[in-house]
Amino acid sequence: MNNQQREEYKLLIEGQLPWPQTKNLMSSYKDRDRFFKILEIYQDKVEWDEKILLPIGEHLFIVQKGNQCIVKCTCGHEFGDYRKNWKFQSVLLVRNKVEDLESIYPHSDVCDPSWMEIREFICPGCGTLLEIEACSPGYPITFDFCPDLEGFYREWLNHPL
Amino acid sequence: MTETNSMTAGLRKRLEESEAQLAETGCYDGITTLECRDMDPLKFETIHMKLRAGCVSAREIARRISASPGVREVGEMVAAIYTPEGDAVAISNGIMVHVHTMSRFIKWMIKNDYEHDPGINPGDIFANNDAFIGTVQVPDVMDVVPIFHEGELVGWAGAVCHELEAGGITPGGDVALAQERFGEGLFICAEKIGLNDKIRRDYVIRCERNLRMPIYWILDEQAKVAACFSMRDRVLELIEEVGVDFYKKISKEFIEEGRRTQLARVRQLTVPGTYRSNTFYGHVTKGKPGFQPLGDPDWLYSIPLKMDIKLDGKIVVDFEGAQPWGYHSMNCTPAGMDGGMFVTLTQHMNFEGLVNDGAWLATQLKLPKGTWTNPDSEFCATATSWALLLPAYGAFQRMLSRGFLARGFLEEVFVGQVNSPMIEMGGISQYGKPFGIAHFECAAAGSGALAIKDGLDTAYVGWNPESDMGNIEIWELDMPMVYLGRSILPNSGGAGKYRGGNAFMSTWVINKSPEVRIVTSEHSSRVFDNAGMCGGYPAPTCQKHRVVRNSNIYQRAEQRKPLAHSTGLDQNDLEQFYQGNQQIIEGPHITAPMKEGDIFTHSYNGGGGYGDPLERDPVLVLDDIIQGHSSQVHGERVHGVRFKGSMDDETLEIDFPQTLSTRKRLRTERLQGAVPVMEWYESEKDKVKQGDFSPEVLKMYRAAMDLSEEFAREFRAFWQLENGFTYPEKEQEGMNNE
Repeated sequence: MNNQQREEYKLLIEGQLPWPQTKNLMSSYKDRDRFFKILEIYQDKVEWDEKILLPIGEHLFIVQKGNQCIVKCTCGHEFGDYRKNWKFQSVLLVRNKVEDLESIYPHSDVCDPSWMEIREFICPGCGTLLEIEACSPGYPITFDFCPDLEGFYREWLNHPL
Repeated sequence: MTETNSMTAGLRKRLEESEAQLAETGCYDGITTLECRDMDPLKFETIHMKLRAGCVSAREIARRISASPGVREVGEMVAAIYTPEGDAVAISNGIMVHVHTMSRFIKWMIKNDYEHDPGINPGDIFANNDAFIGTVQVPDVMDVVPIFHEGELVGWAGAVCHELEAGGITPGGDVALAQERFGEGLFICAEKIGLNDKIRRDYVIRCERNLRMPIYWILDEQAKVAACFSMRDRVLELIEEVGVDFYKKISKEFIEEGRRTQLARVRQLTVPGTYRSNTFYGHVTKGKPGFQPLGDPDWLYSIPLKMDIKLDGKIVVDFEGAQPWGYHSMNCTPAGMDGGMFVTLTQHMNFEGLVNDGAWLATQLKLPKGTWTNPDSEFCATATSWALLLPAYGAFQRMLSRGFLARGFLEEVFVGQVNSPMIEMGGISQYGKPFGIAHFECAAAGSGALAIKDGLDTAYVGWNPESDMGNIEIWELDMPMVYLGRSILPNSGGAGKYRGGNAFMSTWVINKSPEVRIVTSEHSSRVFDNAGMCGGYPAPTCQKHRVVRNSNIYQRAEQRKPLAHSTGLDQNDLEQFYQGNQQIIEGPHITAPMKEGDIFTHSYNGGGGYGDPLERDPVLVLDDIIQGHSSQVHGERVHGVRFKGSMDDETLEIDFPQTLSTRKRLRTERLQGAVPVMEWYESEKDKVKQGDFSPEVLKMYRAAMDLSEEFAREFRAFWQLENGFTYPEKEQEGMNNE
């Protein structure tokens, strides 16, 4: 990856890439090694050393820690084995009262809290809002994504995990 | 009975062979080698481009014949060329959802032995709008014509227009009041409507006598048939150029190439694994006039989705745990579900290359029988299936986007489509004649956010990627309502680091008419039917209608007093400006007719947000306030931005030091207010066991558990409930419509 491309992807990640270049990225053929280029930039941005294996959210990565593959936040907080739902290791704010919902939706109509609540999954390390679920009370927590990490590296990337 | 047509002899057998070859080899029609492509890749591409150009130009021809602003202005149309077995070879732009529903229609005719009766002959025209045969809803009327070359069937040309009036129990086509098939309107069930290249007179008479506004439907028929003839000519010209055997061979290779491209693109853009998402829809009709007591009037739908991306690139989407079909208009057939999948894939995966039915062949939908996705009664209504389809495929888009994010293609991450409520009307027009119309400005909702920027404002719907609201002046020609305004709905996109696109609201005064029935549909007013991603919030629920009956607007206009053009930010401008009977009505709007001088508002939906709202660039927050996209209160409360100065004297600016400290404080408060998820889980468990929920929520769980062993097993396992646990129906919970 040359410096110009590195700068372009860094700006893309930061949401700062000017629209003409972004549009060009969208419309062009996709670069085959984008994955490793992006990983390199993410790795430079975090302050910890564990090797990033896969991004799974705006702040969450699957990383190699010893023999384990775990979920880790940009702030360094660790959520455990990636095959288990990281949300269980987070902290949660539930909005299930009209006034709590209206504080996020001023001037708008909101859900009936007896039909639906908002669950805010927050990183215990940095207080970042990592994921939101809008669901009925009692609905099981959703496990958004469990990648086939080994298959991905072995068969799609032809690269050792 | 028509005699066997030698020109299509063995068509059903051929279709069965083709399906068997796909099952046996995994390749379309058993094509394991792309000989035409390998021999001359340039010619391969050029010929497909000619067919595609034929579809696009046919659609443009049709748009100029149509009288419907839905087709002319908004582009609610699509055209495609098919193989003799009914698989799409090339398609136009437009409402691509119907490329595959038409495929189902053609295959249905073949499987039902149409080659024997009523016969498939040169010059025949077939039409259909029956969703159980192959479409989404009654207004989606499709026409296909067979293409013969020297007596041999070599393909089909097909076109679909969304009709603005379908002759249902209420005007328009998205008939919220239809609780069974029998209220949805005029059905054409795989019918031969024309012979010798001419639409039959008796078919036209039937349309004239069963529709409120037959001019739209009948001229759209002419438009579609013209489009089909144009595509037929293109195919025959091409055959003259390359020879019939080569055409037959290459047209099938195009589909196999499309299938392979789809698999390759999945492997290129995503990550294999299991993705899950869910969305909800709240249907409320209790107490509204016209609904029969056939089932519960209020229904909460959970829409769970599981997507597996296999190592070969195949996408499998499973709707296990979906709610049962019901006596409402939101059910969907497998054809509609296929269509939703197809139009989503064309936007996210097939944005270049050979776009055709090959993409669909590389996917699999699991639609449990008896659910709204695959009803086991063909009497059920599908008039507003989009109400559930759009949230469902919005969730599909978020799952795909998780894959794009994981693979590093951030520019492709998209929080997804949303519902866009429809307004339809009928009665006496401004010209003193009966009329009926569906207003299609809903084809321009707010889009979900992207991972790198805000969503599009008033510019996207999932079903038609061209997404156009149409010009006000054109709509005003077709309805006795004058626009007081189209206004951005501030804060209507979901909050986030990047916000969802905002929606708009229209405000009308009924003009020069003694009677207008206004009906609306696709309102999820009790629950968010969309979602955010990576910390972004869902967009607000569907907004309520504001109405002023018997307003004094004409007097105000005569007196040259200012008029309100929307509800305003605090939703009370109509009250402040106009005298009259003020009403707030939760959709669907089904009430007594309105008349000249009455004022009506209708709002569309915004998209979900992406990322933590406290990470939004304060400059973007300020810009939104200045541009009217959000309120200052929203910027302060949701994004933690602090301001100096005032909007009134144009001195509003960001107080950066205060903003930094406020955001830090808000994060601390989050952590202080939040509880560990396991702690929450323990406290919730009892509530779940006791069934301490509203009747609608209980009914939703009971219905899903009754219908799906798998959902029941997962629900019980999650909450550590004993085997066989369920929520028994309480006596007082019967149909509360009785």
